[in-house]
Amino acid sequence: MDNTFKFESKQKTFLLGGMALGLLCLAITFLTDDSLHTRFWTNYLHNVTFFTGISFMSMFILSAFLIAWAGWYTYFKRVWEAMTQFMIVGLVLMLPVVAGVWLGFHRLYHWADADSVAGDEILQWKSSFLNPTTFTIASVLIVAIWYFFANAFRKSSLAEDQGDGSYDQNKRQTVLASIFLPIAGFSSAAVIWQWIMSIDAHWYSTLFAWYCGASWFVSAIAITILLLIYLRGKGYYSDLNASHLHDLGKYLFAFSIFWTYLWFSQFMLIWYANVGEETVYFQTRRDEYPALFFLNLGINFLIPFFVLMRNDTKRKAGTMAFVAGIVILGHWIDYFLMIKPGALHTAHELMGHAHSATADAAHAGEHHSTILAGFHYPGLLELGTMLGFLSLFLYVFFNQLAKAPLIAKNDPYLEESLAHHIEPPYTDTF
Amino acid sequence: MSAKVSPIREPLINGNKTYHQITEDICAPTERVPSLPWVIGFIVAVTGLALYVFCLAWTIWFGIGTWDLNRTINWGWDITNFVWWVGIGHAGTLISAILLLFRQKWRTGVNRAAEAMTIFAVACAGQFPLIHMGRLWLAFFIFPYPNTRGPLWVNFNSPLLWDVFAISTYLTVSLLFWYTGLVPDFATVRDRAKGLRKKVYNFLSFGWTGSAKHWQRWESLSLVLAGLSTPLVLSVHTIVSFDFATSVIPGWHTTIFPPYFVAGAIFSGFAMVLTLMIIARKIFKLEDYITLAHIESMNKVILLTGTIVGVAYLTELFVAWYSGYLPEQWAFYNRVFGPYYWSYIGMMTCNVLSPQIFWVRKYRRNIVITFVLSIFINIGMWFERFVIIATTLARDYLPSSWSYYTPTWVEIGLFVGTLGLFFTLFLIFARVAPVIAIAEVKSILKTAGNQYVGPDAIHHHHDHEVKTVAEEIKAIK
Amino acid sequence: MAATVNKEVLYGVYDDEEILLDAIKEAKRAHLEIWDVFSPFPVHGLDPLLGLSESRLHIAGFIYGAIGTLTAFLFMTWVFTRDWPMIFGGKPYWSVPSFIPITFELTVLFAAVGMVVSFYIVNGQGPGVNNAILDERITDDKFIIAFSVNNYSEEEKEKLSQFLSGTGASEVLTKEMPA
Repeated sequence: MDNTFKFESKQKTFLLGGMALGLLCLAITFLTDDSLHTRFWTNYLHNVTFFTGISFMSMFILSAFLIAWAGWYTYFKRVWEAMTQFMIVGLVLMLPVVAGVWLGFHRLYHWADADSVAGDEILQWKSSFLNPTTFTIASVLIVAIWYFFANAFRKSSLAEDQGDGSYDQNKRQTVLASIFLPIAGFSSAAVIWQWIMSIDAHWYSTLFAWYCGASWFVSAIAITILLLIYLRGKGYYSDLNASHLHDLGKYLFAFSIFWTYLWFSQFMLIWYANVGEETVYFQTRRDEYPALFFLNLGINFLIPFFVLMRNDTKRKAGTMAFVAGIVILGHWIDYFLMIKPGALHTAHELMGHAHSATADAAHAGEHHSTILAGFHYPGLLELGTMLGFLSLFLYVFFNQLAKAPLIAKNDPYLEESLAHHIEPPYTDTF
Repeated sequence: MSAKVSPIREPLINGNKTYHQITEDICAPTERVPSLPWVIGFIVAVTGLALYVFCLAWTIWFGIGTWDLNRTINWGWDITNFVWWVGIGHAGTLISAILLLFRQKWRTGVNRAAEAMTIFAVACAGQFPLIHMGRLWLAFFIFPYPNTRGPLWVNFNSPLLWDVFAISTYLTVSLLFWYTGLVPDFATVRDRAKGLRKKVYNFLSFGWTGSAKHWQRWESLSLVLAGLSTPLVLSVHTIVSFDFATSVIPGWHTTIFPPYFVAGAIFSGFAMVLTLMIIARKIFKLEDYITLAHIESMNKVILLTGTIVGVAYLTELFVAWYSGYLPEQWAFYNRVFGPYYWSYIGMMTCNVLSPQIFWVRKYRRNIVITFVLSIFINIGMWFERFVIIATTLARDYLPSSWSYYTPTWVEIGLFVGTLGLFFTLFLIFARVAPVIAIAEVKSILKTAGNQYVGPDAIHHHHDHEVKTVAEEIKAIK
Repeated sequence: MAATVNKEVLYGVYDDEEILLDAIKEAKRAHLEIWDVFSPFPVHGLDPLLGLSESRLHIAGFIYGAIGTLTAFLFMTWVFTRDWPMIFGGKPYWSVPSFIPITFELTVLFAAVGMVVSFYIVNGQGPGVNNAILDERITDDKFIIAFSVNNYSEEEKEKLSQFLSGTGASEVLTKEMPA
């Protein structure tokens, strides 16, 4: 079968159209926004962090699987290698947010506002971590390091194709993976604290970074499932069998439960102890965002749990595509719920302090009692923006995928992967 | 099914074993007169058990006033030991369940002994909450049953009661899982035995025949039990962590506790498995089945979980600072620099720093280093629980009630005594049951035996020619 | 009296599971009716050859688990909202998050215990059960294809023996089994 993916012009046009839609939605959001452009900037941050995280997790998955001697995924590992390449785009997309923290043209972060910090003891205390310099280091330097590893890993994997049958490149990848994993483990926490937890600048939770990471992980697996089903439909990866899909389904199932476990642990402990500083986070979300709050659990836990519990559902392309699609949307909503309430609150605070006529007007329009599209639920503009970023992600992905053979033909695990077979059930066609 | 195996996979069964040889090797320890090291070990363990019974009787007779607990430090060695033992009791089910789901073949060499160890460790753990209630004869109050006290039910909202359910469910399910795996192997021992032994093993093997349909159901059952046990393992130490984290005590109330406790439990469990297996493989001559590849894999898990635990320690410290919440910061200041600073140092060195030497492949495959390190980790994880419990309680809100605590001989005796209980049970297990899962090792022979995979393989798996194991051996000779 | 007639079993003993699988394929081609196959460990690829339908134990497990979930959750709900309502830590009577851990544990407990008990019942096994063992080497290193030959003529038995030897059986034996 065809070992090279051809990025057809039709696909390009389609994805460029998607990006144009995203840009249009961003522009409309910007123009119809309040004076601080809160909706615009939260939408921007929401999608950049979500898709960059997925890209980061693909590298994490590749490293972890290699170290654990998994073999079954080798046949389609180039998909994950291509997904890691979005990280550099994510880094560039993050630059406007970084610049805004320095220059103040967005108000995503309460701690980035000098006036607020001056009147707030807690923000002053935290300022040695929550400051523009640290934010820049986390967003630029750390992501660049991740990308460095992803790139080196991919290069080594491609060099293996030209290899002489020795396993040197496999050893090299193992070394890279084992250096990357602890770095990723430590640094992803810092990045998540900076990017997301610091939106609710007063709030803190030790579990938060792992919770966000689990959300990324599930989304990365879900996107992989959709991409593989799509590529197989296009005639690539024709040896992909139901057992490969089954195993990806197991990951989707298991990590959806793991995500729920982390969600519950974090929620239950805060609910139970009821320490005011912590409880406020969930109270805001439960009382002012009840639909999303319960929807989040419903589609990220109940659907994958009940649908994927059986063996046969994990082996059907249609069912898997359905669940994967739902779950991606679900985790995108999860990130929405992490980002929007805190940013809206910050906007209220800042506009309340400003006492300017425009700010007051905007503030009045955004009072707690009103339900706002783009804040209390994702409006059409949010969905359009998401589609735009998704198109960009896919464009980068397909572009990278087309640059290398689809199958790592010299990988020592390839034969195992091709012969991958789980029983029962006994057939591998899907 | 001639399965394809990657050329870079290391064999997991050495010595060109045949199926029959596997039966011989693994059944042998149950059929021989006990060796001298076993007898000496057993005498020492039973002495420990006697000490346990004595200290337990002493505690019940005189009351827990014989312990050094006080109003400020009201949990000490008792709960430290409880959490330590429960943690150790996580590796067995993790190895059998999670590694089964991940299809890691190296689990077959160690799962049986690890599961047995799990059950014995949980049994040891279960002692402490019961003893620490003081009036042991009223322990049945913890169960929700219709009673004449109101009817006043137990508090279902209390994490301490969740523990009762979690530990008893875990013990039951682990026992069932373990025994289901043992049944075919007991049948193997039965079919080799004579006389009374045959009767005993016939009873233990539940009438196993080896029929294809039974094997099919057996595999299906094992898979579902693995699927159920995986979240169960996570839930048990999670619920143990809830005992602390649902409170509002600074140093205890932190959301990372559930996954961090679970990682720590796996960490300590693997250390204990290594401690036991390194001795067992030597005494029972099982080096061909518990190979350096097994030890290396376990050391990798130790390195991973040790590092996760390290991330969690640092996260806690960081967030305590970051929260800007003074009592939280004070609690962590005391952990590091307070009266129990030495236990914090012990915890950090043993748990986070020492496993880092496993980055080097040579050390991961060194038996002496692995053994020494596994002991280090056992100690370090005990320190961790002591740090969490005693140092947090020692400095509470009122400086006038600050306190210090050292255990009495009774508390030390109880802890050492449970070690006696644990080793007594384990040594009996190693005598009467196959310490390695015979059927499961046989089922991976053709994909992990050294005559089939690895550098010494004598034919390539691409061959369509069918060869029996016996022919393989002939070919070598 | 007819029920006490012993089962007459003729079986071939194989040394390797791959030879066994080939032999079963041959037997299927020859339209022979296999009574049972025995092995020291689960042989992969055997179930579809023998036409064994997938085990339904996991479905039973799901039902047992669901019973556990309902038992735990409804019982706690009844206790704290009907039988003896109490407030703990300022939480509502019906504190769902607090009920989750015990509900989860009982779900797992019911599913696991139920499945294991079902397993032994459908297998006809359990403490004290004495099943007749066809050959003691099954649990060691032999793989066996067994035929029930009560209704076979001597000539048919002879042909069957030849078939088994021809497919690689190292021994062909007969045994009377209690029905």
